[in-house]
Amino acid sequence: MREAALSTLPRAKNAPMRLPRQAWLLARNDLRQEMREWELVATAGFFTLVVLVMFALAFATLSRDAQVLAVPGMLWLTVAFVGALTLTRIFDRERESDTLRALLAAPVERLAIYLGKALVTLLVLLGCCAILVPGVVLLFPAAAPLAEHPIQTVTLVVLGCLAYTSVGTLFAAGLATSGGKNVLLSVILYPLTTPALIFALVATRALIENHPDFSKYLSQLAALDIVLVGLSGWLFESVLVGTGARRAPTTRRRRG
Amino acid sequence: MGRLFPVILLGVGALTLPYSVQRVFLDTPIERTMGTVQKIFYFHVPLAWIMMLLAVVCGVAAGIQIRTRSERAEATAIAAAELVLVAGLGVLLTGPIWGHATWGKAWTWDARQVTTGLLWLVFASYVLVRHFGAAGSERLAAALAIFGAVNVPIIYYAVKIWKTTHPDNNVVGSLPPQMWASLWPALGGLLAMTLGLLWARIRLERAEIALDEAWVGVEDAPQEA
Amino acid sequence: MPAVTPLQLRAIGKRFGRLAVLRNVDLTVASGEIVGLIGANGSGKTTLLSIAMGLLPMSDGERWLGGRQVDDISIEQRAAMAFVTHTTQLYARLTARENMELWLSLRQAADASVGEIEPVLRRLGLGDAIDRTVGTFSRGMMQRLCLARALAGRPELLLLDEPFTSLDPPGRKRLAEVLREEADRGLAVLLSSHDYDAIISVTDRVVLLSGGRLVGEVVRADERGAEGFRDAVLALGRGSTREAAHA
Repeated sequence: MREAALSTLPRAKNAPMRLPRQAWLLARNDLRQEMREWELVATAGFFTLVVLVMFALAFATLSRDAQVLAVPGMLWLTVAFVGALTLTRIFDRERESDTLRALLAAPVERLAIYLGKALVTLLVLLGCCAILVPGVVLLFPAAAPLAEHPIQTVTLVVLGCLAYTSVGTLFAAGLATSGGKNVLLSVILYPLTTPALIFALVATRALIENHPDFSKYLSQLAALDIVLVGLSGWLFESVLVGTGARRAPTTRRRRG
Repeated sequence: MGRLFPVILLGVGALTLPYSVQRVFLDTPIERTMGTVQKIFYFHVPLAWIMMLLAVVCGVAAGIQIRTRSERAEATAIAAAELVLVAGLGVLLTGPIWGHATWGKAWTWDARQVTTGLLWLVFASYVLVRHFGAAGSERLAAALAIFGAVNVPIIYYAVKIWKTTHPDNNVVGSLPPQMWASLWPALGGLLAMTLGLLWARIRLERAEIALDEAWVGVEDAPQEA
Repeated sequence: MPAVTPLQLRAIGKRFGRLAVLRNVDLTVASGEIVGLIGANGSGKTTLLSIAMGLLPMSDGERWLGGRQVDDISIEQRAAMAFVTHTTQLYARLTARENMELWLSLRQAADASVGEIEPVLRRLGLGDAIDRTVGTFSRGMMQRLCLARALAGRPELLLLDEPFTSLDPPGRKRLAEVLREEADRGLAVLLSSHDYDAIISVTDRVVLLSGGRLVGEVVRADERGAEGFRDAVLALGRGSTREAAHA
């Protein structure tokens, strides 16, 4: 009658579909909330626009050669800015009434929480890139190759945003549960996501320059994605709740 | 033994370092193209190696800490991270001095420079999180250290391919054997110092934890009596 | 009714650095029993509940669930537990129904129990507010919704942190009745509260936590009638009972 009991032993593979299902439910829950207010999309989208305009004002007079060097930087810096904003907001929403703790107490796979949040963050970032990339192409003539190779551009943007999201979600979630200050998120996020952003930067420049190595860089970025997602997934549960006390209590008391 | 070990290591360092200075400046020929300033190499390179080693030590210790909640691993991770900052500061100060004198440019965005710089930033953020994070953020910091250690080869490779699209030849030429021979005492001395400091810092951190426990124990005492 | 004890905490200790929040706490909650946890602010009530729920790692001691020692609480075990805290833990932008739906669908393989939402909400007096956004609810309504969510999963062990706060007197009465009904069906309940009247009305046993230690206990069955229990709990609250003095 009951689907679970306190005395049940943990079964290794009783619900293989539970993880994707719960991840999707959680992501859908976030999207549902978002559709009530459009708060995340509106703020992140507008922020993207603002940064784009700032970059345009600052760099409009660059020569074409210089643009080739500057455009990838603008693109991925904006992703980093918008990403930090989005991650802060997404987890603030879970902190408002302590729902993240409720999720941790609920029979939910911890990894599903991670995947759900990462998916939503990725979607918001991609939405912003839908403004950002055409905007860059429009404002800077040197970025035209991005529009000429739409499939490559989309793949690159997805892989780059995924790399950023995978690391960012782990640490944003960790800060949200440790009751830490949000200031620390920027302190952590910017240095840690740099390698991912450098890879994306390299690939973007190769795409703009029509460099033959572009596909190689793209596959390296994909490999990096796998490493980052794997590492974050592996660490997520430990960062969020910590593992149980494995030490025997007696050894502790002896020292005290 | 535990108390003596860092003292011995620091002692070894205190003897080896002056010897290596004497050897580097008096017994090793002056490099032809770079001149006297090349002497900085004997301290810059070992420091960089030590920094990388400590970063890996910190990452591994953090991994153990997050899995087993061992306080020995936690103390090691903290100590190693702080020493990464110290060694990194040495590397980041000596590097540009050397670069300025030989290449005419203090910072060339070479793969190694960028890797070192970013690594230093990551460990600085680790120390910041340890100091300013709320209770429970030690696990977060551990994840940060693990990512930091994993990032080392990735950043290095990333910057390398970044540079290959716009090559910049700043290859340090191969050195004659007697120069390498002078590198080892310097490395040995610095390594002994580092390990001594590491050991002492670990002991300090663990003593702090033990003190906390003793404090709690004392508070518990009236009940048990 | 299962013969095993749902929750048993043995010699639990929790420290944050030098601060010992819990010391050597032993606490058992049996099936069908409602145990009240009282104590001043900062006496470790919330920490103890969080440890029981597996939200905080403990520094010392053992946690036994359903007769088995558990270090990492599995998903199946979490499905048989529920935790209601004094924060609402609800999504304010969603309706009561959506909040419930999310919870029920997360815990089950299929959306089988979604039909159970209305009866549960009605039982807690939220029948008219099912499709209202939770953000428009009063605190008391939110708290009832939390409880509805917790009970909808038919847990074996229910932990409540300050459930009576922000409930009006009829709400408190209703909560006490619901808890008693569930306990009679075998639910084990551990609740913390500052509200002595509510505690006295609903619990079978009251323990006092002070400075991270369990320093006293009053069992309803040991006292002479409701008045005796009431006096004993109030005396315990003042920290002057025999047990407290002994400890």
